[in-house]
Amino acid sequence: MSKIIRVNMTTKKVNIEEVPEKYVGLGGRALTSQVILDEVPPTCHPLGPKNKLVFAPGLLSGTNAPSSGRLSVGGKSPLTGGIKEANAGGITSQKMASLGIKAIIVEGKAEKGTYILRVTADDVELIPADDLAGKGTYELTAILKERYNEKAGVICIGPAGEMKMQSAGITNNDPEGNSSRYAGRGGLGAVMGSKGLKAIVVECDKAFDAPVKDKERFKTAAKKFAQILASHPVTGEGLPKFGTNVLMNIINEAGTLPTRNFSRGRFEGASEVSGEKLAEVATQRGGKATHACHPGCVMRCSNVYPMPDGKVCAPIEYETAWCFGPNLEISDLDVVAKLNYICNDVGLDTIEAGCTLGVLMEAGVLPFGDGEAAIKALEEVGKGTPLGRIIGAGAAVAGKVYGVTRVPAVKGQGIPAYDPRSCKGNGVTYATTPMGADHTAGYAVTANILKVGGYVDPNKEEGQIELSRNLQIATAAVDATGLCLFVAFAVLDNEEGLPTIVEMINAQYGTNLTVDDVTALGQQILKNEREFNKKAGFTKADDRLPEFFYEEELEPHNTKFELKEELDEVFNF
Amino acid sequence: MKVYKIKFAETNKIKRVFKLLLEVRLYSGLEKYVQGAKYGKPMKVEMPDGTTGRQLLDKLGIPQEQVFSILVNGTHRDRDEVMEDGDRVALFPPVGGG
Repeated sequence: MSKIIRVNMTTKKVNIEEVPEKYVGLGGRALTSQVILDEVPPTCHPLGPKNKLVFAPGLLSGTNAPSSGRLSVGGKSPLTGGIKEANAGGITSQKMASLGIKAIIVEGKAEKGTYILRVTADDVELIPADDLAGKGTYELTAILKERYNEKAGVICIGPAGEMKMQSAGITNNDPEGNSSRYAGRGGLGAVMGSKGLKAIVVECDKAFDAPVKDKERFKTAAKKFAQILASHPVTGEGLPKFGTNVLMNIINEAGTLPTRNFSRGRFEGASEVSGEKLAEVATQRGGKATHACHPGCVMRCSNVYPMPDGKVCAPIEYETAWCFGPNLEISDLDVVAKLNYICNDVGLDTIEAGCTLGVLMEAGVLPFGDGEAAIKALEEVGKGTPLGRIIGAGAAVAGKVYGVTRVPAVKGQGIPAYDPRSCKGNGVTYATTPMGADHTAGYAVTANILKVGGYVDPNKEEGQIELSRNLQIATAAVDATGLCLFVAFAVLDNEEGLPTIVEMINAQYGTNLTVDDVTALGQQILKNEREFNKKAGFTKADDRLPEFFYEEELEPHNTKFELKEELDEVFNF
Repeated sequence: MKVYKIKFAETNKIKRVFKLLLEVRLYSGLEKYVQGAKYGKPMKVEMPDGTTGRQLLDKLGIPQEQVFSILVNGTHRDRDEVMEDGDRVALFPPVGGG
């Protein structure tokens, strides 16, 4: 039976609720954004008792649909002041879905103390855990697994979340227990910290036990979907071989790799921190060039990178390799791994941390290219020193504190690894998505750079608005299913892709959805999110890129970002 | 930098032969087809005037079907487009991520 777990941190009461009719057809981002719109006052303080945190597996999570174990976490973001859905891999989403949990809603705020929520098949219990306060996520996850269940999925925050730093993320573990699968963006870790909730332990030995109405029909559709993924060059060959960091070199060659805090589009040391290098070093040291972040993933784009100090960073993703590499003019993968590991342990979004260090280097607080200085600065976060708190507050705050004008952020959230001046489709997405600068919200790198789903010249304005609009709608829908967004590479190029996803949903729930319904769902999610943001005070002026992208040319293509009023056409549906 | 001298039999028939010097980079496994190549390490490749991406791949011995993207000076090119002297050429198999 499907249920919603509601935890009130003020009263310490846990309620198990039936799923209201309105929410039955929703999952993942569709559900988190709907609940936030329905229950959270848009003008509330994100760290106050009126904000809520919603954890929801996708519609297909917990089934054997390939690569369907994504978890959505929603709330009002302390970083952007708007609605947020942050999305993570890892093993917990499938466990929640296998226990019949549609969502966990955390509300209120503990006056004091640290708590964990323990979820089993028979019980849900809020347990005082002051002994776990201040623990890093790796140690915390190991303790909780040992204390309760070795196979548990542990959703948790690190000290950055407890200190309510506004770029703190929420993590959960991979099959090996690494607490590195982050719902990273937008500071939802601070929201969890503000409520006094340190971790959610989900105990369930099964990953594929979500109820399916028509099992035979589902099996046929899931098999077909696996074939669609296996037969596409990106999902079947590219991602499984080198992981996401295979992007480093092509984005560099395309001249849109943000270098030295977004001042150039190419970095001469890019290949030293690329997926090729990562695979080489990881394999040499007994790690893995390819790895699945959750059971049943066929793309296996993750990796296991053994570090010189004997610890393991799993994975190093492209965005992280970029933000700590070219963005800081660092070309040492061991330094990148160390910075990544610190973020994972202290509980910080890597992209935001990298953008912030870039701004601090721009300000002269530490030198560009100095890996040791970057590590030392990032270690301040866990200590809660003034510098550490500035880093934990994100790029926009750091820019204000130090008077920097080249600050790569939209709606207060740091811009990821594609410069909007030479990947203009992504520029449109950064500017307009309700999430704040987010590459995953409408990943136009596909048609701009990778030649997937057509081709739109990345250096020209034509076609970018429509490209971003269509991708944002499709992405919102994919984020509702629990499928990894990377299935989009195959789905965009295969006309049977989307109908097969719809067929899996229909087989699981006994519904009669069509492809048009999926488009409508994507549009509705975006409308909900825009409505929340509007009520929170956002206007068209918030849907723009920072001034320097309109004023400074980016080498090597010598392009500026030109789109302004046109951006208001993105949501004309 | 190693210089690869590649001659076209047919171009020898033409009296005046213009040569192109291309700066070529191979990535994501394509480097295994060229002896001594390393990903990201630029190679100077001499080709006759009028060379296309397709001809460059043939001369380097990289199977056509292995190459998904040809970037010339940071811009996608069709494999039948003609290259120019001094072009920076990057060759990729299918890649993706995010």
